[in-house]
Amino acid sequence: MATPIIMPKFGQMTEESAIVEWCKKEGEPVAKGDILFTVETDKSVMEVESFEEGTLLKIVVAPGKNVPVQSTVGFLGKPGEPVPEATVTPTVNPAAKTAPLAPPVAPPAAARGPAVAAVPILAPAPVAVPTAASAPSRFRISPRAAALARNCVIDPARIPGSGPGGRVVEKDVKAYLESRGYAHLRVTPTAKQLASKEKLDLLAITGTGESGRVTLADVERVIAERPKPMSRMRQVIAQRLTQSVVTAPHFFVTVEVDMTDLVALRAELKQKGAPYTVTDFISQAVVLTLKEFPDVNSSTDGKSIRWNSRVHLGLAVSLEQGLVVPVIRDADELSLAELNLRSRELAEKARAMKLTPDEMAGGTFTISNMGMLDVENFTAIINTGEAAILAVSSTMQKPVVRDNRVVVRSIMKMTLSSDHRLIDGAMAARFVNGIRQKLENMELWKLLTA
Amino acid sequence: MKKSPTYLSDSRPKFEPYEIDCGTIPAYRYKGNLATELKAKHLTGTEAVAILEDMLIIRELEEMIVKLRSGAYEPIRDYNYRGPTHVSVGQEGTAAGACAALQLADNITSTHRGHGESLAKGTVAIRQMEEAQLRQRVPQFKTGGREELVEAALEEHVYRTICELFGKDDGYCRGRGGSMHIADFTVGHLGANAIVGGGVPIATGAALSNRYLQRGNVVCCFAGDGAYANGVVLESLNFAAQAQFTNHLADGLKGGLPIIFLVCNNHYGMTHRSDDEVMGVDRMARRAAGFANNNMHAEVVNGMNVLAVREAVLRAAKLCREGKGPVLLDVDCYRYWGHSLSDPRNEYRTKDEEAAWKAIDPIESYKAELINAGVTDTAGIAAVEKRVAERNARAAKRAATAADPAAEDVLTFMYTDTRCETVPAEFANPSLIGSLPEIKRVNGELTYKDALKEALVQEMARDKRVIFYGEDVADYGGAFKVTKGLMEAFGRSRVFNTPISEACICGTACGAAMNGLRPVAELMYFDFALMSSDQISNQAAKWHYMSGAQTEVPLVIRASAGAGKGYGGQHSQTLESMFCHIPGLYVVYPATPYDAKGMLKSAIRDNNPVLFVESQALYGMKGVVPEGEYLVPLGVADVKREGSDITLVAWGPVVHDCLKAADKLKAERGVSAEVIDLRSLVPLDLDTVLRSVQKTGRCVVASQAVHIGSYTGEIASTIQEKVFDYLDAPVKRVGARNGIAPQSHILEAAFLPNVNDILTAANAIL
Ligand SMILES: Cc1ncc(C[n+]2csc(CCOP(=O)(O)OP(=O)(O)O)c2C)c(N)n1
Repeated sequence: MATPIIMPKFGQMTEESAIVEWCKKEGEPVAKGDILFTVETDKSVMEVESFEEGTLLKIVVAPGKNVPVQSTVGFLGKPGEPVPEATVTPTVNPAAKTAPLAPPVAPPAAARGPAVAAVPILAPAPVAVPTAASAPSRFRISPRAAALARNCVIDPARIPGSGPGGRVVEKDVKAYLESRGYAHLRVTPTAKQLASKEKLDLLAITGTGESGRVTLADVERVIAERPKPMSRMRQVIAQRLTQSVVTAPHFFVTVEVDMTDLVALRAELKQKGAPYTVTDFISQAVVLTLKEFPDVNSSTDGKSIRWNSRVHLGLAVSLEQGLVVPVIRDADELSLAELNLRSRELAEKARAMKLTPDEMAGGTFTISNMGMLDVENFTAIINTGEAAILAVSSTMQKPVVRDNRVVVRSIMKMTLSSDHRLIDGAMAARFVNGIRQKLENMELWKLLTA
Repeated sequence: MKKSPTYLSDSRPKFEPYEIDCGTIPAYRYKGNLATELKAKHLTGTEAVAILEDMLIIRELEEMIVKLRSGAYEPIRDYNYRGPTHVSVGQEGTAAGACAALQLADNITSTHRGHGESLAKGTVAIRQMEEAQLRQRVPQFKTGGREELVEAALEEHVYRTICELFGKDDGYCRGRGGSMHIADFTVGHLGANAIVGGGVPIATGAALSNRYLQRGNVVCCFAGDGAYANGVVLESLNFAAQAQFTNHLADGLKGGLPIIFLVCNNHYGMTHRSDDEVMGVDRMARRAAGFANNNMHAEVVNGMNVLAVREAVLRAAKLCREGKGPVLLDVDCYRYWGHSLSDPRNEYRTKDEEAAWKAIDPIESYKAELINAGVTDTAGIAAVEKRVAERNARAAKRAATAADPAAEDVLTFMYTDTRCETVPAEFANPSLIGSLPEIKRVNGELTYKDALKEALVQEMARDKRVIFYGEDVADYGGAFKVTKGLMEAFGRSRVFNTPISEACICGTACGAAMNGLRPVAELMYFDFALMSSDQISNQAAKWHYMSGAQTEVPLVIRASAGAGKGYGGQHSQTLESMFCHIPGLYVVYPATPYDAKGMLKSAIRDNNPVLFVESQALYGMKGVVPEGEYLVPLGVADVKREGSDITLVAWGPVVHDCLKAADKLKAERGVSAEVIDLRSLVPLDLDTVLRSVQKTGRCVVASQAVHIGSYTGEIASTIQEKVFDYLDAPVKRVGARNGIAPQSHILEAAFLPNVNDILTAANAIL
């Protein structure tokens, strides 16, 4: 059987080498110590001697090819001896071996966290990074003092520090404990254990046990009342709404809309299979009215006014986690059927938390509909960047006077919140009445649903 | 009482013209051949065949390494050998010839290319062993006669050698040393050395020990031609050839060092040509002429002829045993492969040169001699070859699958926990040459340096193996008179001046410690430790571990730190931190006379190498030192003063500054400071420090070392790591400024730490 000729491992760290030249031809006799081939390593060109005598039966690896060390490069043996099927060792592809790490790929949109968190209208304002000079001085406490506070289950944050740089040191904690009568504090062991685990301050817990002893129940109560952090989404909502209330002077105009006929029409249409919701009619009425009142479809930065030529209609959708406002773009271009379709799509996406940031950006007017929540009337806060918002309440059976007679009608209250910087009372009144009139005008709806 | 060893030189100037005769150095003296040797009964036919076998064992092992790199070693084709490939193919005649001339108890030291010497010292020794010794080597071997027993021991020898190369637990050094540090102390092999030239002072120290203990053993120190350019090698030649070993100063121990400096002259360093390129002598044998008037009996020997080598080493060993050493042999040989297998050779030498040397291959030519002399025939030789190949193959197979050391034992053998509790009778209470030096006590007090002297006196009087040497330590009593009077009491064989060769002082002391003595060496200034850093750090510190605990290194190096005297940058350094970074060493630094005595005594009795730092600033300090026997254990800190508000940790002279600072803190601020003198940096008594910091919550760590990289940092970081929760302030460090010790008094005062620096640090955290 022929003996394999192996690519030597010249250095401990050498992983692959290439043959420069075969010094023997196939079929040529080889003596022990003869140079078989030369090899290029990372250091130099090496000669490889034969350990055995024989005939070079086969050259498996041609010059110039990089092969892993200790792989078979040829066969030596007696003339005519069979050579194993030449298993050409896979050439090492230097590129693949040394390929750099894959270039950083932009993470897919979904990986950026729930889309809702990126709602521009709710997006957090950039947080100012404090410069070194303005950085608030960090609370400093020595590890020893911290350990003492920890062991006593107290919060050292309010202890004045007397160490260098105002650091709280052990003696400060001791003085504080004394001043607060810590020695007289009575705590049950389980209460102390739990308080310690929950990092509570025993001095801040009122004991209700015998002679003021802090009990497990006291600690559990404190834990239950402990403020929890606001969700990211709620924080954004809080920030944006506060900003609106602070910058846009709100005033409110309420009208009652007689929805009796429209409700009947909708029921009739529904029987025929039409999908319209009350909101669709309101949306359509709002869009039409906005085209008549460009002042309401505008925005301001406090110095200039911009009339928006299109209506991008926001529809507030309430979710468990908070509020989102998907926007129907170019609502003034859409038919009632299209409005219905688009608002249904967006609401579904909102509930599935699948709205894209684009789908929540750029509204020019918003409707907040609490009709399904059985409310008499409410006011809404204007989304920043818009001039007004319409709060739609529940439709209720009410006695009203018609033609000097008291009759029962389906009445819905609507309250328009307006930014007084852009809209005056009279305009708000005319605008909201414009909506009302449209909702009560059955001719219009018959036309639009025909 | 014997003749006083004191001696005052009384020479006269002499300027008559004359010529120095450097004499001649013979080359290639060997005239015989195997037939004549057999006829003269210089060896038997069996011994002649054994020499062939020894060379074959070496070549087989070296070729195994070469083939393993190509997957071509049939018995263990797939074994992945990790490690050096400094093979010695071509040099077998040198290794086997030299070892064939040595006796079982003779020593060797070897090099990074030392597989040959290691194998041959073993095989030759095994054939020289008594049955009981053989049985000890192969206890598992129960049946058979001597021949089988020898065969079993030979195979075990090859097996344990290969195991060491493979880093296995059954290796001679338990896989801690490997190819370049292999050693077998049971056959006198004191270790191969991966520091070129690093083993030469060790060999010299081993010879010093053999001479001192009158053992009659020689040391054969193998080293390459390249090594003979290395300072410590030249220092060793000079050290070994000192006149005081053979002239009128050599009290009872007349006789040169029994050492053969055997230059394995393969003509190349790694790749440089020694004789035609980087050296100015054509033959390494000429080196000898520079160090001894008798040229160290130097010879140039044909290393390709195993019998020539054997004869030369026999001659050299005889000279050594007669007290005429040292001898230098320049053995002319050739390395067929490159420095390692990654060296193609063709960048610095011709094919024709290689072919010419291979044509006189030591093994092939010796085979021819065996046949010519009628000792055996081709069939007989083939049988030996087969036996060797099969034996090596079996050993290699076993070694390849032998157990690796357990990973959790990575630090096993770092230090020994043994000490010299009782002195063996043959060494106990040796007789004195003169009376012990008088050490003046006033009110029970001694100076720090007298405390050191008292320790040395007591330990030397207790144990004959304790010898003491250094520069100017004998008649003069040392630059600081610490050892005045010792030479008169113990004689020059135990207390002697050395040449100004710090590396060699430490290296020979290391070698002597590895070969039966318990030397104390003195470094006149701590700064000079950097001259001997290889011998302290790579040799003394490492041999217990690298040998797999075959040897201990009971050595003390006294280093005198000289800060504060205006001696400038090269005589004022506090360098213990550097040596604390070297695992394997103990580093201690007493601050009081009491500790100086108690700790030096402990250091001398400890079986670990101890760097014993002394402070010149403290030499004159007085303190109570009990006259009798007491020991201060190494690795135990001393709480100098108890306190509750802050811990001051220090060592060396700064301990006293800390005590002053503690006084001031008490007086000025009512602060109670605890002062801890570490005394011992390695091993470190962390427990005492941590317990104190747990109590006080504040800590300043102070030493005289420059701040950067100071061991104070190690201690400070360990404190914060271990007892962070007890700290009431950051741990502060005090040291010298990050500069170079200046001469100017004003500058030096600004440079060194003082009481105020300690107070400033303490006040910053109080
Ligand atoms: C102090 C030191 N310097 C350099 C080296 C790197 N080195 C290893 S072997 C060697 C050549 C040694 O030459 P020589 O003493 O002639 O021995 P040879 O290798 O020829 O057997 C060198 C430079 C080393 N190991 N130690």
